[in-house]
Amino acid sequence: MNNSEFYIGWQPQAPERLAKHSQSIVIILFLLIAGVGTSLALLQKRFSTARFEFGQLTEVKGIYQSFPVPALKVFTGNDAFGNSSFITMPLVGYGKSGAEGVIAQLEKNYRFSFDNHEITVKGTLLYSDGKTLLQIDQHDHPLVKVREAPVYGRKATIAELGTVKLTGEVLDPKCYFGVMKPGHGKPHRDCAIRCIEGGMSPVFYVRNKNGEANYYLLLDEAGTKMNSELKDYIAEPVWLEARAVQYDDWIVLYVRRGSIRRTGGLSWFKVKDGDISCGKPNGSLE
Amino acid sequence: MSASYTAVGWNRQKKIYDWVIAGLCTAYLTLFALLTLIFNDQVTLETLIIRSTSTLAVLLLHIILAIGPLCRLNNKCLPLLYNRRHLGVTMFSMALIHGVFSLFQFHALGNVNPLVSLFISNTNYSSLPAFPFQALGFFALFIFFVMAVTSHDFWLHNLSPGIWKTLHMFVYLAYFLVVMHVMLGVIQYENNPVLVIMIFTGMAALTVLHLRAAFREHRTDSQQFSKQLEGFVCVCDVQDIENGRAKIFCIDKERIAVYRHEDRMYAIHNVCKHQGGPLGEGKIIDGCITCPWHGYQYLPQNGQSPPPFKEKVSTYDVKLIENKVWLNPIPFAEGTEREGALIKN
Repeated sequence: MNNSEFYIGWQPQAPERLAKHSQSIVIILFLLIAGVGTSLALLQKRFSTARFEFGQLTEVKGIYQSFPVPALKVFTGNDAFGNSSFITMPLVGYGKSGAEGVIAQLEKNYRFSFDNHEITVKGTLLYSDGKTLLQIDQHDHPLVKVREAPVYGRKATIAELGTVKLTGEVLDPKCYFGVMKPGHGKPHRDCAIRCIEGGMSPVFYVRNKNGEANYYLLLDEAGTKMNSELKDYIAEPVWLEARAVQYDDWIVLYVRRGSIRRTGGLSWFKVKDGDISCGKPNGSLE
Repeated sequence: MSASYTAVGWNRQKKIYDWVIAGLCTAYLTLFALLTLIFNDQVTLETLIIRSTSTLAVLLLHIILAIGPLCRLNNKCLPLLYNRRHLGVTMFSMALIHGVFSLFQFHALGNVNPLVSLFISNTNYSSLPAFPFQALGFFALFIFFVMAVTSHDFWLHNLSPGIWKTLHMFVYLAYFLVVMHVMLGVIQYENNPVLVIMIFTGMAALTVLHLRAAFREHRTDSQQFSKQLEGFVCVCDVQDIENGRAKIFCIDKERIAVYRHEDRMYAIHNVCKHQGGPLGEGKIIDGCITCPWHGYQYLPQNGQSPPPFKEKVSTYDVKLIENKVWLNPIPFAEGTEREGALIKN
C-alpha cells in the first residue's frame, strides 16, 4: 500500500484503489449471502401439511369421554352394515395447556359430569396425518349444548393388543398435529415439555419400517397420566415397553414403570427420524 | 492559528457502509423467504422468521469475526473495520428477533413465565443429545446485547478502553455458545448435512485467519535486536522508513512505532488509546499520526491527540548514529514531549 491509499473512515471519500477493492469485497459478500441463503432455504427438511385453523371456530358435536384422554367421539355416519362409525377427537386447551381445566370449569358450572354425554362445543380444529384434535378455549365460551348421549348402533372397540416394545418419540399432539412446524424433534423440545407439563396428553410417535407413522396415547400401568415422568424423555428417540390397548381409532400404551430409556446418541451422528421404528421382540403394532 | 472540529456523524462512507449492510440483509431475508415459500410452502410465518433471522445472524457473526484478522493480513480490508460496530448491532438485531420469536413460540402461553420456562423446561444438562441448547442461545444473545449497547464511543470512554476491549472480547465466548446452540439444536433435527458443513467451514476459516494473523504478528514480535548502546537498541536503517510512515518494533514485549516525519524520527507506543489499533500501521496526516482503524490522531513529538481531544500515548527517545536508527525502549510518561532525532542529509 502506498501513501495515497491510506483509508480514513471519517473522511468523505475513500482512496480510489481502496474503494475499488471494497467494491470487490461487497460483490463477494453478496455472492456469499446468496449462496448460503439459497442452500439453507432449499435444504431444510420438508414441513408437514399439518393445519391449525387459527382464528376459525368450528362447532363439533360428539360424545365426551374423559378416558383415556379428554376427547369427543364424533359420529361420522353408518357403514354398509348399518354400524355407526366414529372418529376420536382429543381435546386440547388454549396455549400450552390441556383441556381438563376448561371441561372441569364447565362441569362445575353445570354441576354434573359430561362423561358419556353428547356435547356440542366450538373450538379450533387442528389436524394432520389422519388425526384431528380440537382446541377449546374458555374465552370462546366453548360449550354450545349438552344432552344425554343417543344410542348408536355400535359399541366402542376395545381390544387388547399385547405387550409391545417400541422406539419412538414422545411429543405433544397440539404442536405436532397442527400448531407448529416443526412440532417435534430437538428444536421443539422445550415447547413440547411445556405443553405436556401444562396437561396436554402425550403422544408416542413411531415410524414403522415402511416409513408409515403411527401415533399412540401414553398412560402409565395404572391408566393414569404420566406427564411428569415423561418430561425428561420428550422429543428424542426413546425406547419403551407397554401393554397396548385399542380404543376405537387410537391405541393406548400403558407404559411399564421404569421401562423408558433413551436410545442415546446425537442425531447428527447417529439416530435420525428414519431409524425410529417398531420393535419386534414381543410383538409390534405395524 | 486555531483548529475547529465537527462531529463525524453519518458521513458519506458511513452511509455507504450502512446501505451495503441493509442491502445484504434485505437480499438474504428476501431470498430465504421466497425460496422457502416456493419450495417448502407449508412453513409457518413464525418458523420462517425464526430461521431466516437466525441463519443471517450466524452468517453476519462469521463476517464480523473475520474482519479483524483480514485487516491485520491485508490493509485493503480496513474499510470493513471502520464501521464494524454497525454490522455488530445489525447482527444483534437479527439475533434478537430470532430470540424473541423463539421465546414466544416455544415458551409463551404456558404455565410459567417464558423466561423461567427457558431454564426449567429442559434440564438435561448432563446429556449431550438432550442438552438444553436454547439456554446457550440466550447467554450468547445476552453477550451480544451488552456489546451492542456499549458499542458507542460514549461507553468506550466511560468504561475505559481496557475494560471495553475485554468486554468485547467476550464475542468469542458468544461465538462458541452460538456454535453449540446450533450443533445441539436444529442440526439434530435436520437430516441434510449442509448446515453442519457450513458451521465447520466457518469455524475452520475463522481459525485459519486468526492463526495466520497471529503468526504474522508473532514474526514481528520475535525480531531480535543484537546491537545495544547505553540503553538504546539498533532497530533499522533510516531509509527503511518512508516519510510519513512508521515501522513497528517489539522490545521487551512492548510494541513501539518509529515514525519518520519530515526531517525527524519519532517513537511512540504502538497501541491506540481508542480501541488498541496499531498506530505504526498508520500514516501522518496534517502533521498527526493517524490510526488506521478509526482515524484517531496523535502528534508525533508528544504522543498527544491535538486539542480538544485528550488521548495520550507514551513516547520514546530515538537517536541516529550514522545511518542507523537507535531506540530506547524505556517509555516516557504518556504525552511527554520528545524532540525526535534529526535526519542529516
